Amino acid sequence: MSTAVELPAPVRVSPLIKFGRWSLLTVGILYGMSRHRSLAKKEAALREVEAKKQAELAPKLAAEKARLSKQELDDLARAAGVTVTN
Amino acid sequence: MAAMASKAPALLKSALDGAQPKFQTFLRYAKVELAPPTPGELGQVSQGIQRLLSGFRTGRWKQLTVKEATLNTLVFTEVVCWFFIGECIGKRSIVGYKV
Repeated sequence: MSTAVELPAPVRVSPLIKFGRWSLLTVGILYGMSRHRSLAKKEAALREVEAKKQAELAPKLAAEKARLSKQELDDLARAAGVTVTN
Repeated sequence: MAAMASKAPALLKSALDGAQPKFQTFLRYAKVELAPPTPGELGQVSQGIQRLLSGFRTGRWKQLTVKEATLNTLVFTEVVCWFFIGECIGKRSIVGYKV
């Protein structure tokens, strides 16, 4: 396997291109980190607000759900001809 | 299944050994082509920027051949893509910010 073809010599890349690549890489990493941090902060604040709203609405939603399911069961019983005693 | 599991470390080792020459050739090219510019080359960097700006000002860019222009576009695109790779590394996700 070591009788490979002669590999071409490495290309001498212009320093401007190398500088551009590495500087854009670091700028990209910093930009990604800073944007991630700011977005995570905003999301945490939003999550708190939504949790509070959900806590307020929860009893109302539960009551509505119970009422609808009782309505369904009553309709089913009427359709099946069963008398409900409760 | 047990035979496969017992052979796994040996398989891994042979895979790594097989990859070594390829890795060595990659290193050989990477050390010249991908390495960051040494401080001594920073003078050339500013010269290159000056040359780009003066070429733009004198209108030499209107006399480029299409082949040269496509090559320049490709190189520019590759350099810009490193920014997006850096952003993916910074946000620790490939697609989208996972907040």
